[in-house]
Amino acid sequence: MARARLVGDRTNRMMVQAMQRRSTDVRGRVFQISLLVTLLISLFILGVLIVDVVMDGWGILTGRPGGFLGGTMRSLSDDPKLGVHQALVGTFWIAVFVAVLAFPLGIGAAIWLEEYAPKNRIARFIELNIRNLAGVPSIVYGLLGLLLFVKHLRDVTGGKSIASAGITLAILVLPIVVITAQEAIRAVPQGLKEGAYGVGATKWTMIRSQVLPYAAPGILTGTLLSMSRGIGEAAPLLLVGAVSGRLGRDSGFFDLGDINEEAFMAMPVIIVEWVQNSGRDPGFAAAAAAAIVVLLVFVILTNAAAIFLRNHFEKRRG
Amino acid sequence: MRLQKLLVLAIGLMTVFALVAAACGNDDDDGGAATPSPSGQQDDGDDEPDQPAPAGAVSGSVTISGSSTVEPISVRVAELFEDVQPDVAVTVDGPGTGDGFKLFCEGETDISDASRPIKDSEAEDCAQNGVEWVELRVGIDGIAVMTGEGNPVECVTFNDIYGLVGPESTGFGSWADAGSLGLETSSLPDAALDVYGPGEESGTFDSFIEIVLEDIADERGQAATTRPDYNANADDNVIIQGIQSSDTSFGWVGFAFSANATGVKLLDVDGGDGCVGANAGTIASGEYPVSRSLYIYVNRAKAEASPAVTAYVDFYMSDEGLGTAVADVGYVNLTDDAMGATRASWAGR
Repeated sequence: MARARLVGDRTNRMMVQAMQRRSTDVRGRVFQISLLVTLLISLFILGVLIVDVVMDGWGILTGRPGGFLGGTMRSLSDDPKLGVHQALVGTFWIAVFVAVLAFPLGIGAAIWLEEYAPKNRIARFIELNIRNLAGVPSIVYGLLGLLLFVKHLRDVTGGKSIASAGITLAILVLPIVVITAQEAIRAVPQGLKEGAYGVGATKWTMIRSQVLPYAAPGILTGTLLSMSRGIGEAAPLLLVGAVSGRLGRDSGFFDLGDINEEAFMAMPVIIVEWVQNSGRDPGFAAAAAAAIVVLLVFVILTNAAAIFLRNHFEKRRG
Repeated sequence: MRLQKLLVLAIGLMTVFALVAAACGNDDDDGGAATPSPSGQQDDGDDEPDQPAPAGAVSGSVTISGSSTVEPISVRVAELFEDVQPDVAVTVDGPGTGDGFKLFCEGETDISDASRPIKDSEAEDCAQNGVEWVELRVGIDGIAVMTGEGNPVECVTFNDIYGLVGPESTGFGSWADAGSLGLETSSLPDAALDVYGPGEESGTFDSFIEIVLEDIADERGQAATTRPDYNANADDNVIIQGIQSSDTSFGWVGFAFSANATGVKLLDVDGGDGCVGANAGTIASGEYPVSRSLYIYVNRAKAEASPAVTAYVDFYMSDEGLGTAVADVGYVNLTDDAMGATRASWAGR
C-alpha cells in the first residue's frame, strides 16, 4: 500500500533537496570571518603599541632598572639620576586612596540601590545621574577637586597635595564602581535569594551569605577596571597640583606625613611631561617609553591581585 | 576563616609589592647625603636635626612656577644647586607665564618664570597684594620661522609674515596672497600655504605677536593677533610634524625646539637690516630679529625672609646658572655685559 502523503509533492521535494544538498551558509561564514578580523585588528594595534613602547624603553629598562625606578625628575635625559620614583610613589598613593575610598562607598551604594532602594521615580533619577556621572570628562572632576579639596578643604588635604589628588580620582571612579557592582548584584539568581529567605534568613544575612559571595567576582572586575582608569588619568592631576618640572622632595612609599604636603608627581603626568620634553631633548622619548612600561607593569600587578581574588571567590561560588 | 585567610593574603601581596618598590627607591636616597662638617653645630632649621649640615648650609624650600619655556632652566639650576645645598627642596612647575604671574602675585610662589616681561595688569595685581619683585633676565630664546624643505623661499620680512599669518590674512591659501594687503612684500610664490604654530595659551604665541605682528597691526588699525584659521597646537613636536608634512608649509616654534627638528627649513628673517639666519650667535647678539629674553621674577619679601630662596637665586646668578644651566637645556647665553647687568640688579635689590 502506498505510503500516506503528509505533505504535498513540491514541499516534499524541497525538503529532501534541502537536507541532501551540502549547505554552504555563505552569509554566516562572512559574518564569522569579519568578527575574527575585527578581533585581530584590535589585537594587532595593541601588539604594535606594546612592542613599540617596550623596544623604545628597552635600553633604560635593562640598562639601569634600579636607577630608573629609584631616580627623580631631571631636566636632561642622559642624567643618571633620571627616574620615576617620585611618580611611582604618587601613583601608589592614588591607588590606595581609590581602593580605600571608592570601593567601599561604591559597593555600598550599589547594594543599597539594588536591594534596598524602593523602585520609584527618585531611585530611577539617582541611577540615571550616576550613569551620567560616569560619562563626565575627567577634567571636570579636576575642577571639582581644585575647588573642593584644594581650596575649601585645605586644612585637611594640605592644598595641592597627593591627598587632594587621591580623593579627586576616587570620586572620578566612584560612578564606574557603582554601575559595575550594580550589574554584578543584579545577576545574582533570584532563586538563591528566595532560598535564603526560605530557610528564615534576614535581609542582611541573605545579602552577606548569598548575594555578596555570588556577586564578588563581578564586583572585583568592576573595581579592577575603575582602578586602572583612575591611575591612568593625567588631566585632573594637573589641576590639583601635579608639578611638571621638578619636585623638591623625594618621599618614600610609606612617608605618610608627605601625603598632605604641597606638590606631587604621578606616572601619567611624568609620561606627558617627558613626551613634551622630547622636542627639546630627544632622549626623553626613551624615558617616556620606559615610564609607560613601568605604569603598565603597575597596572598589571594591581589587576593580577584582583584576578587572584576573583578566582578565589569563583571557586567558592562553584 | 576563609575571609581571614583571604585578608592575610591580600595584605601580604600589597606588602610584598610595596617593599619591592620601596627597596628599588632606596638605593638613591643615600646618594645625596650631606657631608658632615666641622661647624655642624649651627642649625639654621630644625627640619633635619639628625643630619649635620655642611658649612654655610641652608635648608628650606623654594617654590617656582610660570613659563614652561623657562622651566627647564630653573630645573637645571636646581639640579646643579642640589650638589651644593642638598637640604633645599626646589619645586618647579610650568603652567605658563600668565598662570605663573597669577600665582606669584597671590604670594603662592617664591619665583616666577617668565618668557616675557610682566604686563602692566599683572604688575597691578602684584601691587594690590603687596608683592614686590626683582626682574632678572637670565637667557635668550629665539623663535624659529620655518617651512618645508622643498620651499624655494629663503628669507621673509616682517611684512611677509604679517601677510601670511597676520589678522588680515584669514582665508589666504597661497603664499602669493600675502602681497594682496597693499604691504611691501617680497615676491612670494603662488604655492599652497599651510600654517602651523603654537596655540594662544603658549608664551611663544604671545612673543611671536609682540615681536613680529604687533607694530604692523597697530599701524593698520588691526587687533594684534594671528589669523584664527591655522593649525594651533600646544605641543611643539606636533607643530614640527605639521611643517614637515608639506613643502610650502609655514610655521614657528621656539628656537630650542627647532634645533633638533629634521625635515624642515629655517627661514632667514629680515627685520629691516637684511636677512639673518637663526643660530646661537645671531640670537645672542640680537641680530636675529625674532628672539626674546627669558626672565625670572623673585618675590623680594620672600627672598629676604628665606635663606633658601636667596641661596638659590645667588646660585642662579653664578656662572653655573646663567652660563652652564642655560646652555645645557638648549637656550642661548646672555652676552657678558647683559649677565653683568642681571647680576647688578640682583645685588642691588
